[in-house]
Amino acid sequence: MLDAGPARHGCRMDVIKRNNIHVYGSGATTLVLSHGFGSHQGMWQHLLPLLADRYRIVTFDLVGSGHSDGAAYSRTKYGSLHGYAGDLLEVVAATCDGPCIHIGHSVSSMIGLLAANRAPERFTAQVMVGPSPRYLNDGAYVGGFMRADIDELLDSMAGNYLGWSGSMAPTLMGVVNGERLGSELESAFNNSDPAIARHFAEVTFLSDHRADLPSSTTPTLILQSTEDPVAPVAVGDYLHAHLAGSALRMIDNVGHYPHMSAPGKSAALITDYLEHFNG
Amino acid sequence: MTAPLPSTPDTAERAPCGLLAAGQDGIIVRINATMCGWLGMPPEAFIGKKKLADLLTVGARVFYQTHCLPMLQVQGSVAEIQVDVPHSDGTRIPMLMNIVRRQYEDGCNDEVAFFITKERRSYERELVQARRTAEAALDARRDAESKLLELNAALSQADRRKDEFLATLAHELRNPLAPIRNVIELLKLQLPATEQATKPLAVLERQVGHLRHLVDDLLEISRITMGQVELRRTHVTLADTMQAACDDTRPLAEAAGHRLHLALPDERITLDADPTRLMQVILNLLNNAVKYTPPGGDIWLSARFEAPHAVIAVRDTGIGIPQESLPTIFAMFSQLTPALERAQGGLGIGLALVRGLVELHGGAISAASDGIGQGSIFEVRLPAQVADAPAEPAPAAASAAWAGQRRILVVDDNIDVTETMTMLLETVGHHTATAHDGAQALAAARSYQPDIVILDIGLPDQNGYEVARQLRATPAGGAIFLVAATGWGQDADRERARAAGFDLHMTKPIDFGTLQAAIATLA
Repeated sequence: MLDAGPARHGCRMDVIKRNNIHVYGSGATTLVLSHGFGSHQGMWQHLLPLLADRYRIVTFDLVGSGHSDGAAYSRTKYGSLHGYAGDLLEVVAATCDGPCIHIGHSVSSMIGLLAANRAPERFTAQVMVGPSPRYLNDGAYVGGFMRADIDELLDSMAGNYLGWSGSMAPTLMGVVNGERLGSELESAFNNSDPAIARHFAEVTFLSDHRADLPSSTTPTLILQSTEDPVAPVAVGDYLHAHLAGSALRMIDNVGHYPHMSAPGKSAALITDYLEHFNG
Repeated sequence: MTAPLPSTPDTAERAPCGLLAAGQDGIIVRINATMCGWLGMPPEAFIGKKKLADLLTVGARVFYQTHCLPMLQVQGSVAEIQVDVPHSDGTRIPMLMNIVRRQYEDGCNDEVAFFITKERRSYERELVQARRTAEAALDARRDAESKLLELNAALSQADRRKDEFLATLAHELRNPLAPIRNVIELLKLQLPATEQATKPLAVLERQVGHLRHLVDDLLEISRITMGQVELRRTHVTLADTMQAACDDTRPLAEAAGHRLHLALPDERITLDADPTRLMQVILNLLNNAVKYTPPGGDIWLSARFEAPHAVIAVRDTGIGIPQESLPTIFAMFSQLTPALERAQGGLGIGLALVRGLVELHGGAISAASDGIGQGSIFEVRLPAQVADAPAEPAPAAASAAWAGQRRILVVDDNIDVTETMTMLLETVGHHTATAHDGAQALAAARSYQPDIVILDIGLPDQNGYEVARQLRATPAGGAIFLVAATGWGQDADRERARAAGFDLHMTKPIDFGTLQAAIATLA
């Protein structure tokens, strides 16, 4: 159950509406799931049924994505991942009594890291799915991208958002323990404003949080796909080397969404890792 | 003659679109001749060697990974994805891509169709560019708007500071007026009643009176702007207030050689108003008329009832108001320049103050004039009603009879105030002692056993309310007549004074006549 607890800013109901928060399943441990760049909380639908029988699960949309409150978007606040990290702490405060386990996909791995660095007492552990602390190559560091690639991405987005067609809407629905997933999953894949999507892409792909890694004290599982065009294996290795107390698990998967294309394997690795933190 | 029907494989091979199929691992298993021709490479370069994503530029690949694949996963198809596909010579070909994921028993294939969209793309690029330009313009406007908002905030901050400064200034100017007035009162009592002595004294008294009036107006207007004025509304009979205002103004008007005409309304008009503020409104308008009318003029004060308002009018035969100044005449500091030349001075806040007070009462004020030299008329409209019952007779004022000698303790941290006040009190026969802070006051109350304590509220060690409470708690404290003296004269102060046990609240500078009258009424 959701129980009353003050959010750090504004009231709890505001946070629930702003981030379109949904809670599924039940269990002593709460998993807070943060979706990545270019998607929304619906992307958890394959993983959810595999976790909801033993955990209480909170999903939400980052502001500017999915069905979050678009009016809450501010270029200043969300000009860095710290703005999203602040929101994540508010989501945790609004939905969890005690510490939780954060599962962040893609850019949300780093958002989770920033939040856990700020309030380590709120996080028992964190799972990073396809994380990257920096997407651009930098000297000896291999992030996988050059600046021109990011410009191409922005270009692709601009073109595709312009001609976004109704056929892009996913029609499949997930069911968790007989509970129908939120109706927001029925709607368009990504209904966000093109200007916001572009800004989010810039903020994500130009971010550099390598310096934040040594401050982390939260036990971390890194889920690395064997072939991820967004977060290459080298990046997973780099994270594992620089995050004290981290575990690196490889998933035999092609793509940036192992929780979509390999949900069974992803869920097994996650539950296996979380065994250490139960009770 | 009909052309032979092409074979199905040939149709696919030569189709006017690029076709390819990729296995579950993404590796291309089939590609048609059209696509190979477009990309300038033979089928062997692709089949079993490249993945669909490898055909795309790095940026398009990220978009494909983050946006398309999850959807393909969820719904089994995506349509009209724009991508750039590099030719073997390095040029990029804009294409649209449709993908269908076909499930088989042992896996799935992605079947993809490509269309070249050069023309369409360049048109869309123009659209995107136009959109960006529009967005940039919108951003620029938003920036400008937010700057304007900041500027507004800075201005209102400055305005608030100005109001606070004016209030502080008025307060500080008011303090020295108290001892000055006391000395004048003292000199009036001490000096022989010869013309040599009384004339300069009268000048001094009048000028100090003006000064006090200006400072009071200033204080009042800043408090109104800061929203600190609370009305003490009561049932007021308009005619009484008009009569009193006229009586007050008459000496001033006659000194200037004016004739002051009072026309009381036929009906008994009553208002739910603060009598002091209402008096202030009428007095200010009358003073204004006296000031801006050349000697020997006529001034009329009249009122009428126009349901549901009382209309109070002050008319004069004065210098008038030029048409262009009428709209701004009630704004602060909007004194007319010719008035300066006439050496009338003033801060130009009198009318602003009147308007502020009228508006606090839910009323409105207007000014009219036929122009320079044509006189002016000011009309105040206030919510009112007409009563049938005759006015209750006002209680007779207590006569200020001599009530014998009193022991009076004067407490103020300003030594000039205590010295001049005690001199005045002693001159009229009282016995006095002084104290300059709360502790001294409490000690003096014990040793000196005063009948009356005049207590400044703003003492250096503790505030006067606290001292009053402690005084009241002493055995002899209950019988003491406690007078509060405050610099601000706010209604809230009055309430606090009463709550703290004061018998009388007076605004500094203390009017000695009023104080004497209050002392005289003590049994």
